[in-house]
Amino acid sequence: MIRSFYQKHHRTWEKYDQFLFNNPILERGLVIAPIVVTCTSLSNALTLSAAFACITILTIAVTYAIPKKLPYTIRVILNAAIAALIFVPVSMAVRRWQPEAVYQLGAYLPLLATNSLIVQKSESRYHRQKFPVMLAQLATASLGFAAVAVLTGTVREILGKGMLLGRPIEGITWTVPSLLLPFGGFLLIGFLAALLQKFRLWMEKPPRKPQKEEQHHV
Amino acid sequence: MYNFWRVFQETAMGMGSIAVAAVFVENILLSRAMGVSATLFIIRKKNNLWLFGAILAGIITFSSILVYFADRWIQRLEHSYEWTPFFYVLIVGAVYVCVLLACSRLPAKYRSQIIPMIHLSAFNGAVFGALFLSRDYNFWEHIAFGLGTGCGFILASYLVALGYERLNSSRIPSAFRGFPITLIYIGILSLAFYGLIGHGLSI
Repeated sequence: MIRSFYQKHHRTWEKYDQFLFNNPILERGLVIAPIVVTCTSLSNALTLSAAFACITILTIAVTYAIPKKLPYTIRVILNAAIAALIFVPVSMAVRRWQPEAVYQLGAYLPLLATNSLIVQKSESRYHRQKFPVMLAQLATASLGFAAVAVLTGTVREILGKGMLLGRPIEGITWTVPSLLLPFGGFLLIGFLAALLQKFRLWMEKPPRKPQKEEQHHV
Repeated sequence: MYNFWRVFQETAMGMGSIAVAAVFVENILLSRAMGVSATLFIIRKKNNLWLFGAILAGIITFSSILVYFADRWIQRLEHSYEWTPFFYVLIVGAVYVCVLLACSRLPAKYRSQIIPMIHLSAFNGAVFGALFLSRDYNFWEHIAFGLGTGCGFILASYLVALGYERLNSSRIPSAFRGFPITLIYIGILSLAFYGLIGHGLSI
């Protein structure tokens, strides 16, 4: 059912969906660094996702007003500078809400201000859309980022530390601490991307038509 | 004279060790995962990896020098952590414009190759990552870290590019072909670099 719906509304789906098939992380590897390195727990993943959504959506919405007449170089610098200004209150909120997260996320939290969606994709993709379409795309992209971050953080916290949200899970007698290192993040996201690609291939496959012999039997 | 040589020797040794650490121990791509999307873009579009790496190293080094002087003032600010990205964006932006202006005087043949690379490398995770990571270094160490980061980026990107063509072949299962298997390959390279550093794995 979902496959026939996707095939029927393929264009609309592709236009708005950045949660699944145009996921910024699992399709192109954009903004992958914070997830690979810092998403080693669910709380880190939630903090990172909230900060990413605030910075990215607000910045791209505000920079939509920058005149297209300005040279590309100036527009890119303005995009990044506005993102860095929006980072100031977001970072203060993170410090107030989750003080230890600022230290755990380290350099990766300020790096969100210069992420690829803001610096490059805002010019090549988002600012070319109508404003409501752009907002819908940004919302699905932020949800897609959060989904990958939460999944990665949860799996790594459970398997790497035997905990969830900082509390030990009863019954887990072994852990794989190497999953907490960056290569564990790369491998996990690689497998998630493969799973998504498999799903995409299945969705794009034409539905099987009943053969003539089968029809005769019926 | 003896003192001068001693200081020179110590500075050179310090710079060398920081540059080597930036290439292998703290490789910006394989240990820090910064600049992955730029690397994949360059490889996919079959752009000149060496030129991109050289421009990236140049931008990091020039920005590092400016950041070294600006950091003394930024650290004194209340909420310096929150304001740091804004000042770093201004510094990298200034370097970006200067490099573009300098390159605009080159012959058209070179200009058409170099300018798109500058656009791609200036506001990149690797550049800002290197600036944030080198905050505690002195002036010469800033320069060494910038150059080492650029060289480490070229080395890691070259290793990824070597595998990329093979990883897109029809022999790879369709679910893994392209981006997923490339990411797994980067993960295995990252694991190899961790082995090189000497991290023990749990058995």
